[in-house]
Amino acid sequence: MKNKAPEPLIRLKNVSLGYGNTLVLTKVDLDVRRGEVWGLLGHNGSGKTTLLKSMLGLIARRSGEVIGRPRFGYVPQKERLDPVYPLSSFDVAAMGTYRAFQWPFGRRRAAGSDVVRRCLADCGAGQLADRRFGDLSAGQKQRVLIARALAAEPEILVLDEPLAGVDITTQQALLPLLKELKERRHLTMLMVSHRISAEKGLFTHVAWIDEGRVDSGPAAGMLASGRISDIFKTEL
Amino acid sequence: MNTFLEILKPDFLLHHAVWGSVVAGFVCPLVGVYVLLRRLIFWGVALPQVSAAGISCAFMLEALGLNMITTGEHHEKHLAIVGAVVFTLGAIILLAGLERRASAPSEGRLGVLYVLAAALSILFVSWNASGENEMLGLLKGEIVSISETDFHAMLDLFGLAAAAILLFQREFTLVSFDRDMAMTLGRSVNVWDGALFLIIGLTISLGVMTVGPLVIFGFLVIPPMAALPWARGMMSFSLLSSIIGGLSAFSGFYVSYTRDLPLGPMVVCVACAAYLLSLSAERILRRSP
Repeated sequence: MKNKAPEPLIRLKNVSLGYGNTLVLTKVDLDVRRGEVWGLLGHNGSGKTTLLKSMLGLIARRSGEVIGRPRFGYVPQKERLDPVYPLSSFDVAAMGTYRAFQWPFGRRRAAGSDVVRRCLADCGAGQLADRRFGDLSAGQKQRVLIARALAAEPEILVLDEPLAGVDITTQQALLPLLKELKERRHLTMLMVSHRISAEKGLFTHVAWIDEGRVDSGPAAGMLASGRISDIFKTEL
Repeated sequence: MNTFLEILKPDFLLHHAVWGSVVAGFVCPLVGVYVLLRRLIFWGVALPQVSAAGISCAFMLEALGLNMITTGEHHEKHLAIVGAVVFTLGAIILLAGLERRASAPSEGRLGVLYVLAAALSILFVSWNASGENEMLGLLKGEIVSISETDFHAMLDLFGLAAAAILLFQREFTLVSFDRDMAMTLGRSVNVWDGALFLIIGLTISLGVMTVGPLVIFGFLVIPPMAALPWARGMMSFSLLSSIIGGLSAFSGFYVSYTRDLPLGPMVVCVACAAYLLSLSAERILRRSP
């Protein structure tokens, strides 16, 4: 007897998305199951972030159905966060634990502090805890933001262009970190990228977003298919 | 030294004026911290002016025979509060709505709002010549003549605003710093934004009537600017801003009283001196090895 595929953590059924009068994506079907690492690939402006945000519940869909509401840990594009805030890296990472109101100086808040320190340490950012977030380098910020997402104890870790704007050395340090976190914490991941050379070894599945449509499937087959390999010829 | 001690005495003639200024100096920067971090400085300019327009509108309507509030001992104050709160909250709701929908730059909208509010304030005053003097007093901030009842009402409202800002600091910081993250955590960002804007609106409305638009804008912006380089986290930022605001208010009052100078401008100048001091100290420390 064939093994039945596990229930998806989140399922998109015939979903259409857009802004104002513009329809960005139509008829999207996507199942994300536990343990999978999805690469959401496509050109700039193709709708990758739109798809990601709809899964996170940040933008309303035009039509279709999203089934499942897993706990997300979200790593946004770091440039979006204003460096003027006088927040330490610990303060930023601790935001992952702000799921509900807690009284100041309560016992739950102290327990949350231990979780945050552990997440920072797991991301190699333990020594950055007291440093001002706005003063960190791009790679250091990314580690803190991943720690923040982990502090939310996510079922799905969602990363929006995690390697954009970081140098090669930092990329080479972040990728093993993501692989290690995936193994150690049995994470499911969704990662937006407009280039794939660095991340492709990490993906188990790929969603290719182009001209308002989404093609998806196992990474090996998708990356070998003519369409993606032609476009990313130099990278592959 | 004698004057300093005299000011501190409970039977000092301007006792409520001193402590009213100091309380406004402590509380307004707590709100100003978010005005600065969310880059809403122009809100800080426009809203006190809108609040002033609300006060003059309420008095004009009263002069035209529309009695919104029953007469009584504190009739004028209550009328001013209603006008200031209604106009300020209305403007905040309008601005927050346009922020999401309109395509024009928000600075442009705030510029239009400011200049419209300034023009309306003058027009409303000119249409109500009979009550011009009392109204101008309220528009400039009547802190020197604040009564005991008003002083206690101000303490209650500012106390509530300060308590809410400190108690919900994590929520306000989260929705201000990373709205998307707050939403993925399941937090109601519109509710928390609404609560923050409500506190900002009420603080500005009340502040305009007690210390005037000039000082309110000063308290919203200058102490947080002075505190920012030294802040380590949101709590230290808020408390440091608040202390600088409170001390500026007291020092400004002292200089104003001893030199017989106008209170509001003096408080603003003292706060600016604190900012310059902070800026210089930061530069010196950064240069030193």
